[in-house]
Amino acid sequence: MVDPQHTSHRTTTNARLDDSRMSQITRREFVCAAATLSGLALSLELPAQEGPRGAAGAARPPRTPSAFLQIGEDDGITIITPAVEMGQGGHTSLPMIIMEELGGSWDRLRVSDAPAAAIYNNPLFGQQATVGSFSVRGWYLELRRIGAAARIMLLQAAAHSWKVSPVDCKTGGSEVIHGPSGRRCSFGSVARLAANLPIPQDPPLKTVAQYTVIGTSPSRVDIPDKVDGSARYGMDVTLPDMLYAAVKTCPTFGGKLKSFDDSACKSIPAYRATVPLQDGVVVVAQSYWQARKALERVKVEYELGPLAELDSEKVSQQLRAGFDEPGIMARNDGDVQSALAGAAKRVESVYEVPYLAHACMEPMNCTARVTEEGCEVWCGTQNPQAAQNAAAKVLDISPSRVKVHVQYLGGGFGRRGEADFVTQAVTAARTTNGRPVKVIWSREEDIQHDFYRPAAAIRFRGGLDGAGKLIALEAKVVTASAPAFGRPGGPPFFVEAVADLNYLIPNYHVTGLNKNLGVRFGFWRSVNHSHNPFMMEGFIDELARAAGKDPYQFRRSMLQHDTEGARRQRAVLDLMAEKADWQHPAAGHSFGIAAFPAFGSYIGTISEVSVKDQVVTLHRVVQAIDCGVAVHPDNIKAQCEGGMMFGLTAATRGEITLKNGAVVQGNFNDYPALTMLDMPKVETYIVPSTAAPGGVGEPGTGPIAPSLGNAIYAASGQRLRSLPLSRHQLSLKVMRT
Amino acid sequence: MLTLKVNGTDHSVDMEADTPLLWVLRDELALTGTKFGCGLGMCGACTVLLDGRLVRSCIVPVSAVNGQAITTIEGLSKDKSHPVQRAWIAESVPQCGYCQSGMILAAAALLKDKPNPTDHDIDMGVTNICRCGTYGRVRKAIHRAAQIQQNGETAPATTV
Repeated sequence: MVDPQHTSHRTTTNARLDDSRMSQITRREFVCAAATLSGLALSLELPAQEGPRGAAGAARPPRTPSAFLQIGEDDGITIITPAVEMGQGGHTSLPMIIMEELGGSWDRLRVSDAPAAAIYNNPLFGQQATVGSFSVRGWYLELRRIGAAARIMLLQAAAHSWKVSPVDCKTGGSEVIHGPSGRRCSFGSVARLAANLPIPQDPPLKTVAQYTVIGTSPSRVDIPDKVDGSARYGMDVTLPDMLYAAVKTCPTFGGKLKSFDDSACKSIPAYRATVPLQDGVVVVAQSYWQARKALERVKVEYELGPLAELDSEKVSQQLRAGFDEPGIMARNDGDVQSALAGAAKRVESVYEVPYLAHACMEPMNCTARVTEEGCEVWCGTQNPQAAQNAAAKVLDISPSRVKVHVQYLGGGFGRRGEADFVTQAVTAARTTNGRPVKVIWSREEDIQHDFYRPAAAIRFRGGLDGAGKLIALEAKVVTASAPAFGRPGGPPFFVEAVADLNYLIPNYHVTGLNKNLGVRFGFWRSVNHSHNPFMMEGFIDELARAAGKDPYQFRRSMLQHDTEGARRQRAVLDLMAEKADWQHPAAGHSFGIAAFPAFGSYIGTISEVSVKDQVVTLHRVVQAIDCGVAVHPDNIKAQCEGGMMFGLTAATRGEITLKNGAVVQGNFNDYPALTMLDMPKVETYIVPSTAAPGGVGEPGTGPIAPSLGNAIYAASGQRLRSLPLSRHQLSLKVMRT
Repeated sequence: MLTLKVNGTDHSVDMEADTPLLWVLRDELALTGTKFGCGLGMCGACTVLLDGRLVRSCIVPVSAVNGQAITTIEGLSKDKSHPVQRAWIAESVPQCGYCQSGMILAAAALLKDKPNPTDHDIDMGVTNICRCGTYGRVRKAIHRAAQIQQNGETAPATTV
């Protein structure tokens, strides 16, 4: 369970369980495990909470006993987190939730990644995946119950040995304290006794007002190892007898390997073998550099496939052709056609955004070892079970024979929810007689074989009445998407942030067309919210201007109704407007605003710009988020800032283009990232809230593009209906004073 | 055989002359704190110090560094006590952390050259790419490290 190669820790404990045992643990076995551990290894079977419908429909796995918490006799507290760590803070925020109820001492905490096992499936959507800003939202209730149950067991154990009432005892600082006598004992001293007590099934939980851990910002547990090079990423896995491999796959989408000739590699002494993949080759050698050199010498021929003629212009044409093709009805309030016909003023616009690559700093990689017993896989992954299943599929064995060692992720952003790199590594490792193989992608392979943020286009029609009120909104969303992801039976996934606005619009009609053009697409930080808000909030801004209204007040006027969504979104708008001093921009400066619900939170951004000679100067970014209970405020700010920068990079220069069926860009020279020079002055504000937590990793990405576009319009009269800025001969400059 | 002086220790390595220093450090010497990011010297994840100068080790052939003193992130201090490392912890800079070895070395080199850098100096001196967008905190931490360096603060920094 606790992989000594990769843990975030403050102290070490001897409370360890073996991975494979833990993943198969049963309630009966747990009792034995606890006894041999000489401590409390908390394995809980709590009544399942009723969450929103799962991504996979009703098929949520049964909540079998699960192990999240171990307390050793040495007082070490080990928390096994179902969320992997990719910089979003999961290794800190989830333990905080357990520790809040447990009363454990933060400096005794050790954190380790959960193995691939259904018991770690997120209660909210039924997968063990660190995606969708789901970790805190999904685990908030269950982890508190685990912490509370452990607290009660420790209290009871101490009370029993002291022969006092547990009612008079409390926990704090990893101790049980008897109030009347002041007696204290450490968790470790009663852990073994506690392990033999029955597990409370419905422990009472603290109220928000009683929190002492949640709402504070303890130093993230993964940070110390990230300042001295000791943090272990997938890229850093080193095993005895390990071989290295470089990979090259067909440049065109859907292309296949036809043949290869490695005869020119044979003179390289370190060269071992070329292993064919369905769509390319993996070249194995004694060192990575030799593998790279050998790869260059392999002559590969491909079947380019049916998309060899595809280019960006055709993509755009096909998306736009979709406006007049039938789609799936996502929302139909009132009678939008009649309302448009009768409107005093009509506005029609088409928006479009390009494909984007994730470009995680750590290129894709995976290490695999295949033996007669099964397979082991080491990688940074957002989805350990997907990695497990991918390996099992290659070998045609049961997933239970695949052990996944989760490493730190050098960026995830959705890319590492895929398992294509696992398939490659296992395919190579099955040919090496038990020697492990580490497959490392070049940056070019990484950018040219991504699961791209899909290109998307929306046609909007809006109608205003004589008073400038928005009475009709029609939108047709065309993109490639997992059509019903997360909402079986509901509106298509990809109309998020278009069909679910909080704005009160009497006639409101949205259709979505899922148009898969064969270009590999996937989840890219904030997913639909990475593109739809740019288009939707841009169009709302157009409507505000057409109505002759202030864009902030125009939005606010549509949020006066008494729903939670309207109230919370209005509060975000108001907080931003106050902090930015919306009414009083500095001389020569202009504001743009955007706000919307995202991932169970409410997010908004105001950009302050000036525009001269096609240079957009970004003077300041003001963000506000209502994410419910703010578990770790400092990390929430970090995520909002980082998300904003991810979105700003895309808005400024982000564009993957296609030519002859292949991706044109290949590295940071032609798929550039913003740097220190481009980091604007950012203020991030958190709306105080006691509501259940919303997501924080992704919401911050979406609003910068529309707020920037709207600010550019306010400053220059130029309306951006596509991205990036570079497409409009606009460049970005930031001012920090 | 080449002799590499890394973090104060001499190592004999038997690698082909054109092997980038990055892969020698990572795969031969097990110094995996130096990261591969782009292979073009553009992103800075592979940054190390060569006789005190910043270099991007993914484009430096190992034959070019024979005998020169190489400092990697592992050699910056033994106990995370370098002013930059302390400031980094205090400001909670890293997110995914993959680019941070290079960032920290770039910051350390900048502070050696300019003990009290301006924002402009930082913009020009630290050109590494961070996809998590930690730049704001990198900037704050560099200013903080400058203070630690000047005031000789020895207490370990903690985040409030």
